[in-house]
Amino acid sequence: MQVAACFAILLGALELVSPRGVDFLLRHSPTSQKYIVETMTGGLALLDYDRDGRLDLFFVNGGRLDDPVKAPVRLARHEPAYWNRLFRQQADGDFADVTARAGLHRAGESNYGMGVAVGDYDNNGFPDLYVTNFGLNQLFRNNGDGTFTDATAAAGVAAGGWSVSAAFLDYDRDGWLDLFVSRYLDWDFHRNLHCGTPFLAYCRPDRYNGTSNLLYRNLGNGRFEDVSRSAGIAGSIGKGMGVAVFDYDRDGWPDIFVSNDGMEQFLYRNLGNGRFQEVAFEAGAALSDDGRAYAGMAVAAGDYDNDGWPDVLVTNLALEHWALYRNEGGLFRYASQESGLAAISASSSGWGAGFRDFDNDGWKDLFVSRSHVLDNVEKIHSGLRYKEPAALLWNRGGRFLAAESKGLPAVAGRGAAFGDLDNDGAIDVVVSVLGEQPQIFRNRQRGNHWLTLQLVGTRSNRDGQGAVVRIGRQMVEVTSSGSYLSASDLRVHFGLGSQTQADVEIQWPSGVRQRLSGVAVDQILEVREP
Amino acid sequence: MSGGWLLALWLVAQAPQDLRELAEAGLKARQAGDLAGAIRAFEQFVAAAPDVAAGHVHLGAALLEAGVYEKAVHCFERALSLDPGLITAHRFLGTLRLNRGEAAAAVPHLEKAKSWDLLGVALLESGRLAEAIPALETALAERPDDPDLLYYLGRAHSDLSRQLLDRLLELHPDSARAHQLLGEAHLAAGNRELAEKELRSALALRSQLPGVRLALGDLYAAAGDYERAEAEYRAEAEARPADAQAAYKRGAILLNLGRIEESVAELERAERLRPDMPETLFELARALTAARRLEAAAQRLRRVLELEDRSRLAESSAFQLAQILRRLGQHEEADKQLERYRRIRALRKQQ
Repeated sequence: MQVAACFAILLGALELVSPRGVDFLLRHSPTSQKYIVETMTGGLALLDYDRDGRLDLFFVNGGRLDDPVKAPVRLARHEPAYWNRLFRQQADGDFADVTARAGLHRAGESNYGMGVAVGDYDNNGFPDLYVTNFGLNQLFRNNGDGTFTDATAAAGVAAGGWSVSAAFLDYDRDGWLDLFVSRYLDWDFHRNLHCGTPFLAYCRPDRYNGTSNLLYRNLGNGRFEDVSRSAGIAGSIGKGMGVAVFDYDRDGWPDIFVSNDGMEQFLYRNLGNGRFQEVAFEAGAALSDDGRAYAGMAVAAGDYDNDGWPDVLVTNLALEHWALYRNEGGLFRYASQESGLAAISASSSGWGAGFRDFDNDGWKDLFVSRSHVLDNVEKIHSGLRYKEPAALLWNRGGRFLAAESKGLPAVAGRGAAFGDLDNDGAIDVVVSVLGEQPQIFRNRQRGNHWLTLQLVGTRSNRDGQGAVVRIGRQMVEVTSSGSYLSASDLRVHFGLGSQTQADVEIQWPSGVRQRLSGVAVDQILEVREP
Repeated sequence: MSGGWLLALWLVAQAPQDLRELAEAGLKARQAGDLAGAIRAFEQFVAAAPDVAAGHVHLGAALLEAGVYEKAVHCFERALSLDPGLITAHRFLGTLRLNRGEAAAAVPHLEKAKSWDLLGVALLESGRLAEAIPALETALAERPDDPDLLYYLGRAHSDLSRQLLDRLLELHPDSARAHQLLGEAHLAAGNRELAEKELRSALALRSQLPGVRLALGDLYAAAGDYERAEAEYRAEAEARPADAQAAYKRGAILLNLGRIEESVAELERAERLRPDMPETLFELARALTAARRLEAAAQRLRRVLELEDRSRLAESSAFQLAQILRRLGQHEEADKQLERYRRIRALRKQQ
């Protein structure tokens, strides 16, 4: 990899690098009309699409917007500048643009790109892509030969409206990955409102009606069935943004958390009978501790306090405090203040986020891509900034401390995805940036031991999504979901400090419990479901 | 008007025996909306009995209703010349003069009539702001949700405040208080840099000036700079250890800083200094929750809900109480509080 400048730009242990070949500009096409969609895009994925053992990068692009957009709306994405892009990682750590070769250049003609989910929905061993859009979504089936086929129509998952984040999960534990899609607002270009005096700004979401989220059940034959209504998902009208899948009540059934913008959050509890119940209020994760709604952006799930129960972070806007909900036996307690996050995030706006152990000390740290939603916020509130540098927060026994940064530029960060790009046992990060090239952070942390597991389901879905892996007090659930608009490395990573071997316990979605004793550390280990 | 039938009885009772029919005819005509008939009857009445004050009042009232203002004024004045203590005449005359823009002239009549709402407005319109406020407050005590009264009282306070502050700036432009005032004004307008400059100037002149460090703390807190906010609140609290507001603000910012035990201690001190301040109780409950003292937190929230029923704080308290009760295993009571939260939220949305 080539370093961006003659001096290292650092965020804690993360170094901002510019590997050759990642030539992607996120074109969000800001207009004088302040179409709200412009400020919301920026999905990306870290996936090993060709199974060569190296993570590749997929970026969702926005689209071309005329100023103003005229009827009939044509968002012409056939121009290469507006394509989504797939970059294959080569052996030397550089990347090659394989978008056209992979058949992913067909982004659609009447949509504006948002996010991406990754999962092997047909269990053929190769990760597939589901791209969300304002407009129709697209499912790209991975053929296993370096190409993808647009399987949207055959699968019946085009949706419509304004989809934002999506996640693959096996909610009914039948061994086939199902698909959840969050949707934002009932909005279109010709119903865009002008807000703000004297400075025109993107309208608050409360100026528009919300909409419903979607759940598609995988029938196992290449087709999906829309079960949003029968499963109890469609009854909750929200303003969905981020999606995270995790088993919050440890009943063995994956639950779904959706961050909503400007209203209460949604926690869909999986009842285990094909139905969900929205229980965010009852579970204590709907609002901040003073009963206020906030601008929910990303959702990050992870057991940050190593008590065996997955916790949740929802990022939001400056002056709101990122909301950290500590899971105490299936009931959440707002813990933003005691964890130090309230003070850290008081004047900062967060988008993509993830709990990962960046220093391999056995505690999950927190990374957040940042920026305000309003590109002219400085004119409206002199104390706030539109562009912000990303934040890395070290977890010191359950309390977060901001890592020092050196020379890190402020950007309009949006999606963030996590994974070990160079397979060195340290988690790297990629951030999408509105109007700019993505930021790629390579983790230079050394010293502590680690273990990364790649699960291969046999009775469970092939990805093993939904499996719960434990090493000592640590727990990680297998999922590519979480953050904002983005999909992360499906491999499960543990930081182990000075530990030189590990006892691993895996609870597979099929119900199989697997134990591995005395596993050597500092390796990437493939584990097949017995 | 509530005293109308009493006045009517009084008129009939006061009228000479031979004019009672005329008085009754006038009253009936007015009641039936026949203003011309009523005016005719009362004119005949006052011509026949010019010394009966009630007759002039009734004639004035009918004329007023018919829009014949000058003559109505004359009638009420005549009634008052016959009986200076006639409350109804004062009320009519005061109202009439106020409506015609003669606020100063209306004041003595409305004072005598004890029409606190209209008197407050008349005093306000006459520029007698300090006197208007108690009159409007008296009226508001009887009709606490009246939007007109709320508006006029708010305006009276605002106008009075502006008058006093203008005077301060005119007489003592370089004083610490003037800088404080300008700083607070800039703060309210969102001009953070200017606000900070003025507040710092105030402190340079009078380092112990009450309220300045609170304002600086507010400025930093609003910008999310909790460390500096805490330092300012602490300085104010140390300078004025009996100031509940300073203790409350410091306790709240300590909570945001994650210094939970210190926050609890400071908010408990604020509670001792000024018991039953809802804002303190609520913040203390949040801090106690973070400190896992759930019963103590629930106790404070219940108290907030006794003090406030449909405010923003009541809404938040019901929500927070529901969360705590669920954690305490009291699910039925938690559901009730959640329902209460939803009810208050719905009411507030309607408003």
